[in-house]
Amino acid sequence: MGVFKLNKGYDIPLQGSAERRVENSPKTTAIAVQPIDFPGMRPGMKVDNGDTVKRGTVLFVDKQRPEISFRSPAAGTVREVVRGDRRAIQRVIIDVSADTSESFTSFSKTQVADFTADKAKGILLASGLWSALRQRPFNKIADFTKTPKAIYISAVDTAPLQAETDMLLDGRVQDFQLGIDFLSKLTEGKIHLSTSSSTESFFSKITGVEAHQFSGPHPAGNVGVQIHHIDRLLAGDMVWYISPRHIAQIGSFLSKGEYPGSKVVALTGSELINRHYAKATEGALVSDLVNTPIARGKQRVISGNVLTGKQTKADGFVGFYDDMITVIPEVAGRRFMGWVQLGLNSNSFWRLFLSKFTPKRKLAVTTDMNGEERAFVSTGEYEKVVPMDVLPVHLCKAILVEDIELMEQLGIYEVSAEDLALCSYICPSKIEFGDIIEKGILAMEKEV
Amino acid sequence: MKFLERFLNNMDKTLSEGPFKVFHPMFGAINTMLFTPGHGTTTGPHIRDSIDMKRFMGIVIFALIPSILVGSYNIGAQAGVEGLFAAFMFGFLKLLPIIVVTYAVGLGWEMIFGHINGHDIHEGFLVTGILLPLTLPPTIPLWQVAVAVSFGTVIGKEVFGGTGMNLLNPALTARAFLFFTYPGDISGDSVWVALDGFTGATPLAVAASSTGSAVDALNTAGFSLSTMFFGFTSGSIGETSTIAILIGAVILLFTGVASWRVMLATVLGAYGMALIVQFFGGDVVSGMRTLPAHYHLVMGGFMFGAVFMTTDPVSAAGTNAGKWVYGILIGVMVILIRAFNPAYPEGMMLAILFGNVFSPLIDHFVVQANIKRRLNYGK
Repeated sequence: MGVFKLNKGYDIPLQGSAERRVENSPKTTAIAVQPIDFPGMRPGMKVDNGDTVKRGTVLFVDKQRPEISFRSPAAGTVREVVRGDRRAIQRVIIDVSADTSESFTSFSKTQVADFTADKAKGILLASGLWSALRQRPFNKIADFTKTPKAIYISAVDTAPLQAETDMLLDGRVQDFQLGIDFLSKLTEGKIHLSTSSSTESFFSKITGVEAHQFSGPHPAGNVGVQIHHIDRLLAGDMVWYISPRHIAQIGSFLSKGEYPGSKVVALTGSELINRHYAKATEGALVSDLVNTPIARGKQRVISGNVLTGKQTKADGFVGFYDDMITVIPEVAGRRFMGWVQLGLNSNSFWRLFLSKFTPKRKLAVTTDMNGEERAFVSTGEYEKVVPMDVLPVHLCKAILVEDIELMEQLGIYEVSAEDLALCSYICPSKIEFGDIIEKGILAMEKEV
Repeated sequence: MKFLERFLNNMDKTLSEGPFKVFHPMFGAINTMLFTPGHGTTTGPHIRDSIDMKRFMGIVIFALIPSILVGSYNIGAQAGVEGLFAAFMFGFLKLLPIIVVTYAVGLGWEMIFGHINGHDIHEGFLVTGILLPLTLPPTIPLWQVAVAVSFGTVIGKEVFGGTGMNLLNPALTARAFLFFTYPGDISGDSVWVALDGFTGATPLAVAASSTGSAVDALNTAGFSLSTMFFGFTSGSIGETSTIAILIGAVILLFTGVASWRVMLATVLGAYGMALIVQFFGGDVVSGMRTLPAHYHLVMGGFMFGAVFMTTDPVSAAGTNAGKWVYGILIGVMVILIRAFNPAYPEGMMLAILFGNVFSPLIDHFVVQANIKRRLNYGK
């Protein structure tokens, strides 16, 4: 049990959080399963245009590791296998029809308790839910041939407009506990569950985990930051991580013997009129969930949060790892003498705008870059939003000069793009820390 | 306003190609100064902080305004011009040509290098272009200013790759160039009063050449602690008024544009070293070493350097621990030069350049310490 009070970081005061009520999504016309949600994974297709699929039918497998399958979260007909650059498969769109399900073996709590590691692995791989487990380093689908040092779960919600974990779990404590029992078979180490003061009560009766408490501004909720404080990840280490919602889904899969096709999605962002939580199908069509008209070029739809989410559109789909849709205004064009304005409504981490005197006031922020790229200026502000013992500027410079050894020494294994997202946000030189870190991680992966 | 925006957008297209491409960096700077670029995010965080380099550097110029105002007045006051406004105008008309030449020559170089390297003129020069004139005496010949700016911009900055890559503070590099090539026009007693034939020693020169206690010599010359604090003494244009500089310091520290670590470390380093020098003064009865420690803080270019020059984020140490070492190093060096160097009474410029040279080394040790912590973790 650890109590971690982090002081570094920043909560962007953003307008548009979701009301704490779950509504059923009015309709489900189409869903998609998107290989692009899984960086580095090349899909081997198992279905084609026009095929009918049930909930739980395999759509594609990982070409390099065919044991990892990806299953359809709803029953229907395959409308299209969408390809992008170089014919890489981007998504499989399915027109949803009446629900029918593939059936799997169901297991009781006592049966799960008797699982061996290999049996547990086999069941999860076959379930189509293996991809919910990801690994550090390299932030990709967990390598099932290895045994992780530990498994980390973050139930600390700090990202901007973040969907709240207890709302996403929607009361499914038993499923969550069964999921934990199951995961404990996959590692010889501990399962670390981090909660915050607002999510602690939901998890108070959960057993079989090492409980930690985190408090502080974003990115205290990032699993990478928590790993850094609980047990730093060094060269040669591997840990796995998974979101609480996925654990409940694994639990539900085990107890019911059906592929769990639904999840709760938070609808957030200043451009949405109705902001709440919606019970939806995995991979749901954005326009099925959102009843605000969205015009391209006027609004930006993001699957995920504003810092790390992926840009999509009204006829796009919710990503596999995402629990929220954020809709914010697009940049409104050029502003006259923007740099000398007093800034009553300017979002900023810096004390250079009048808005800093009203820090609680929430702002509707557009996608404006607010400037152009310049050289690094090491003001010491970056360190204020990184609650880890890493030097963000020096690490990025090591990546830019492609010095593999120095990257490793400066802790490339400990960070991911999301952990340094606030550096990009506050940067006056508009440096893309996230892109640089991702480039570094890819280079490391190639090297190992 | 829409018309102006359309005009600029068209102009931008016209200048991106063709024979007038060389003017594009200059135009780009003006263009984005009038209207924000208006680009949306493409990757990474979808929203960005409202800050940009223009705002960042704009704050530094804003913080320099008190020094410009008091400095201008003081030029007039030193030359014996009566009346607040008249003295200010007299001084401002001395200062303005220096600023204009600095900007014109400097921006010219920036434009050429912007064209070669394919980027807009960077905002850093806007600050350099004000900082340099404020470190010069009001009588400096304008052609020397032009030569110095060229040296500072090209050798001090552009050969390293431009703003952000330079090792030394470009404004101080330019000043150092003048200091060593044309010492007669930037030091001595005759350069501080903007009237031909009039001389006035700076407080530091008085203290250094005192035959008895330095404080007595200063008092005899009319330099009390308060005149030096308010800045009605001879010296470089922006450096004399400690109070005006401190107003700027408050702005820089409140906004977080300058590092409080560097500023505080420089002051502590100098004050501490001055106390040591004074304590071990022993049988010294005359000159700089008899000066009480707090006098050092209001005399010469110390405060101007500590607030505006040491804190230049590019040439200072980049790590938080390194900033303390860097600041203290500069503070200690300036007192050592002032107290023990027989050639020049002032040491701030050289101390900062010395600190600039060492800052990569300081950062190196901080980075190594970080690496060592990571290696030792769990052992």
